[in-house]
Amino acid sequence: MTSRFHYDLVALVIFTVVIVFGVPALMNYDGFELNTFARYLALAIVSMALALSWGTAGLLNLGQAATFGMGSYAMAMHLKLRASNGLPDFMGWNNVPELPLIWMPFESLAFTLLAGLLIPAFVGGLIAIFMFRARIAGVFVAIITLAFLVAFQLLVIDQQGLTGGQNGLTGLAQLSLPGWTVDPYSMGFYYLVAGCLAVALAVGVYLTHSKFGLVLRAIREDADRTRFFGYNVATYQTAVFCISAALAGWAGMLYTMVLEFASPTYMGVSFSLAIVIWCAVGGRESVIAAAFGAIIVNMLEGRLSDVFVEGWHLMLGVIFVLVVMFMPRGIYGLLSELAAKLRRAGRQGNAASIDPSSKTQLETGQEQ
Amino acid sequence: MQQLQVTDLHVEFGGLRAVDGLSFAVEEGEILCLLGPNGAGKSTTLDLICGKTQPTGGSIRLNGTEISQMLEFRRARLGIGRKFQVPSVYRDLTVAENLSVARSRRPGLWSALTRFSLSDVRETEGILERVDLSSKREELAGNLSHGETQWLEIAMLIAQDSRLILMDEPTAGMTIQETEKTAEIFRSLSDSHTLIVVEHDMSFVRTVADRIIVMNRGAMLAEGSIEEIETNEDVKTAYLGH
Repeated sequence: MTSRFHYDLVALVIFTVVIVFGVPALMNYDGFELNTFARYLALAIVSMALALSWGTAGLLNLGQAATFGMGSYAMAMHLKLRASNGLPDFMGWNNVPELPLIWMPFESLAFTLLAGLLIPAFVGGLIAIFMFRARIAGVFVAIITLAFLVAFQLLVIDQQGLTGGQNGLTGLAQLSLPGWTVDPYSMGFYYLVAGCLAVALAVGVYLTHSKFGLVLRAIREDADRTRFFGYNVATYQTAVFCISAALAGWAGMLYTMVLEFASPTYMGVSFSLAIVIWCAVGGRESVIAAAFGAIIVNMLEGRLSDVFVEGWHLMLGVIFVLVVMFMPRGIYGLLSELAAKLRRAGRQGNAASIDPSSKTQLETGQEQ
Repeated sequence: MQQLQVTDLHVEFGGLRAVDGLSFAVEEGEILCLLGPNGAGKSTTLDLICGKTQPTGGSIRLNGTEISQMLEFRRARLGIGRKFQVPSVYRDLTVAENLSVARSRRPGLWSALTRFSLSDVRETEGILERVDLSSKREELAGNLSHGETQWLEIAMLIAQDSRLILMDEPTAGMTIQETEKTAEIFRSLSDSHTLIVVEHDMSFVRTVADRIIVMNRGAMLAEGSIEEIETNEDVKTAYLGH
């Protein structure tokens, strides 16, 4: 395989080792700190999901938070049912007489886990089919997905009896798996989230290095040209939207478990734009870099928003502007340019030191 | 055997009849050159065959199948390849990756999900050597010179291995030697492929063409071998304007 694939595999292993072993040691295995970091890891999944559609396929999905929210609410509905005897409390306050039909299957954990992946994938796929069969591209994808996000959030807030409205779903139980009640402040829970991120990244690395990822990059550059090679561009774009949405839903489920509530702010415009910023800071071309970007920006936010409560959003905006202006390919771009420079320097150094014949070869090679 | 049959093809762009009642057929393994003054509708004809433009009337049959209303990727799957006038390679992909995209025997989603990005390049061994690009496999296509970019696109079409290849000015910007080499490649391609070539370079046309169609104002003006075309009075009038 290509050298780039090897780099990504090495990066994936290092990243996984650091989050699984390094971070807990750095945090002295402190439950509270690890819960905070698990939150960053969950957000890293949604950031890498955006890198798949935006970085690889060039489809800027500003509605990523909607699919994240769907996963988050799916998990919250399950945990809310586990926490209440019969009707969830907020339904009583809203004069809902009995458990609504769409809540019923969420009694089942298996259904919840599937729904948290498949409902976002289905909705994402539906929007994608309409957009991409009509060959909508570029900024219009961003506008349509943003409009969907706003409409979806309004719908969730409006259906107070079903969703808890503005308050969201609070007072959740802890997830109980067979033989394990998942305490979000435990080591076990941290490893669960870190493991999920590692798996999501492995899927992402595989996809970007598969022929699927290659065709998506080709589509990003020139969709029309790619059609003339016989690829059904809309199918590829729809597939990456579905995969990205499912990953976002997965992240949402974990996020609800970390914070122990689900809120309509998870489907907000500012949250969705924040995902774009994380992804851009890390580097949207690489899923690992995008995950890294989410962790870095959120760590910064964790430190700085304590100090500058009001000013933090302004600072985040400034960071985004600076990144777009001075490192449009993010931290990843910076590093890969540096690596390319080092390689070139290394090659020239070698050629100069080995023997004169290879040097002339190199020079004639450059002239051709 | 007739591979492609175009019958009474029409297309209008806002009142302008770019192609106006064009009919012709192409035999399998033939190299057909389309000639004609600027605006004669040569490129538009290729666009209509490959699906870039939808015709307003007429029929296009590929091996007997009507394709004029098909989406372009379906036509590509039936065996139509296209080289555009402006070299269109993927500039952010490496040379090898460009070839892998072009090698689209299995264009479906599932096969793309289950194979690595360059797994199809192996099937295209030798193509890069043929166009002198094997030392640039890992180079980004955007870093190639103009001539190399032309070669890469030709290599991509060979990799795609379509039975019918539509070439729009393949030798534009090439040196004499490069043009000669292109002619050689085209001749060897015609063993198993059919080519329709739009070209202005008459010496190139003379070397490769089995048959020539001269177009003017969207219709066929003359058809025949190079000798027949060069002595045709109508052609002289169309080109020289009297």
